[in-house]
Amino acid sequence: MKDSNTKTLIILLVLTVAVGILSGLESVSPFWFMLILGLSCIKFLLVAFQFMELKKAHAAWKVLIVAYLLIFFSAVSIVLI
Amino acid sequence: MEEVKIDHKNIFYPPGGILIWILIFLELITFGMALLALAYYAKQSPEEFHESRLLLNPVYGTINTIFLLTSGYFMAKSVGFYKKNELKKTNQYLKLTMIGGLLFLILKSVEYWMKIEHGYTMGYDTFFSFYWMLTLFHVIHVVVGLVILVSVYFGINKKDSDTKLEDVEASAAFWHMCDLIWLILFPMLYLIL
Repeated sequence: MKDSNTKTLIILLVLTVAVGILSGLESVSPFWFMLILGLSCIKFLLVAFQFMELKKAHAAWKVLIVAYLLIFFSAVSIVLI
Repeated sequence: MEEVKIDHKNIFYPPGGILIWILIFLELITFGMALLALAYYAKQSPEEFHESRLLLNPVYGTINTIFLLTSGYFMAKSVGFYKKNELKKTNQYLKLTMIGGLLFLILKSVEYWMKIEHGYTMGYDTFFSFYWMLTLFHVIHVVVGLVILVSVYFGINKKDSDTKLEDVEASAAFWHMCDLIWLILFPMLYLIL
């Protein structure tokens, strides 16, 4: 049985390769941009919650990190699209 | 041996301690604002940014992402073993973590060398000014992270070590912060502009 850190690493590596392949399929379009940045945000959350053990922290820290990502993702989307 | 535990559900004790998390958020906000500035300038001259972005090799960036994520995984394992007081395994995984960081730095150096050789230096255009400033700032964090990990390694292996679990967790949090920054830096610079 693999532990949760190992499972997380496998998901992260699969997402990394997927993002690499996706980025080579099409140069620039809002859809690909949202997809690539969205997948990167999922990787960010996996690292924060699993490797940094934020899942064990007080809810306020979880809300803060998710809020940061939402603000970042929205702001970049507004500027670029 | 008894497992060491900290009540992380207390708002003042997130894993690594409150100070490292304040630092992490400050760093994330700083990089986030710089990336927003990059997006703003990219919107002003999309063709210039797109052409310059194509001069970067995403394969290097992807391999470096794999190095950092794997290194982060080893760090998480190392902290887990430290909590169980298994020093031998803690050391093994800590060494693997540092090797991952070193591999990142070696590949980044190769990439830098190739860029300099082709003349894509900081003054080449606006995109490369952002590229050099953002990636160098990140590399400095990785180097600082490695120095911290080396000091933790020697700290926990000292006779009568006074290194606490919170010190190890804080070092790990700093190391993972380098992953977090890279995870938003990499797609913005290498993939989507």
